[in-house]
Amino acid sequence: MVAALTAMVWAGVVNYRHRKQEQAKMQGPQMLLVPDNGTPSSAAGAVQPAADSSADQGPAWVDPLQDKPAPNFTLEDLQGKKVSLSSFKGKAVVVDFWATWCAPCKIEIPWFEKLHDQYSAQGLEILGVSADDLDKDNKTQNQKDKQQISEFVTKMHMNYPVLIDADSIAKPWGGLDALPTTFFIDRSGKVVAATLGLASKDEIEANIKKALGSGAAS
Amino acid sequence: MTRLPLLLSGAALLLCAAGAVAMQKLPWQKSGANNGQPPQSVAYLYPEQITLTAGKQGSVEMHFRVKDGLHINSHTPREKSFIPTQLIVAEPSGVKVSSVDFPSGSDYSPAFSPSDKLSVYTGEFVVTAHITATPGEHLLEGALRYQACDTNSCYPPREAPVALDIIADQVRR
Repeated sequence: MVAALTAMVWAGVVNYRHRKQEQAKMQGPQMLLVPDNGTPSSAAGAVQPAADSSADQGPAWVDPLQDKPAPNFTLEDLQGKKVSLSSFKGKAVVVDFWATWCAPCKIEIPWFEKLHDQYSAQGLEILGVSADDLDKDNKTQNQKDKQQISEFVTKMHMNYPVLIDADSIAKPWGGLDALPTTFFIDRSGKVVAATLGLASKDEIEANIKKALGSGAAS
Repeated sequence: MTRLPLLLSGAALLLCAAGAVAMQKLPWQKSGANNGQPPQSVAYLYPEQITLTAGKQGSVEMHFRVKDGLHINSHTPREKSFIPTQLIVAEPSGVKVSSVDFPSGSDYSPAFSPSDKLSVYTGEFVVTAHITATPGEHLLEGALRYQACDTNSCYPPREAPVALDIIADQVRR
């Protein structure tokens, strides 16, 4: 009994001391370290990650919004103008979530530009929603973040509306755990198709036709 | 006859004490939780503990592993918009991390853009930190910030937790 009580007291003391130490240490400054000049390295060689996307990022993706009404959102564009998805009712809408750090997104964007030109007369709108981080605490950094997105948009000649702050609407859109993620919405506001990861241009175009062809125009 | 209940109650107290210790997770242990997020693409492998001579700079080779089928940008990606791999540490009092060396990236050409050459880390890679510590035991906590992609999609930037127990002796053990 005495041994048990001693062990309990000992465990409590050790635990308390550890927690106090950790709390004190966590109050230290966050320091971002950069390499010094003499960066050692092995010779760079060509590597090819596995050809398939078999990395375990959880179960296979299932479109969480298939045949459901697209969740409305109101986001700002790069000029600060608020844009709501609901304002496009009656049109077929492609909502493409992308980021400047996403290499496969850069492949799809020129296709969206061409498809936008090709199908806008039939009632297609494309919205590119950037998932790039935006510093919401630091105004100067926030401006820099927006500037970086803006430079990318200019460089890529994106000819359709670009909205920012995808993170703020990620939950109703299925989490947006990977990019690009693209939803195809028909004229009634229903999600008729979606793709995760780089899709082929043919698949994107087929989904656009599906969105244009279904749902009653208002 | 009275010994058995006493022994049982003693054992129960011991279990409670052990349970209390196990339930009280430390801050850095909590930071490793996924909190509903997808699993990490990078894991810190080792070492968990190093021994240094107090007051003298030592180097620690920190081993990380990128999940099979994925790659992360190196510390020096070639595209301005790509997110570099970085080590972020909270220096506890008594520990100074003077510099960190990152390995060069390997060239990777995505199948969807064979002419591009990205600078990436795959598999296991080593980051070397140069550390000085005062006598005693210290816990260095931090995170590796990275952004991972597979062959046709990319994942938002994440931070893989890192914890290193530093024992700084007056005389090297």
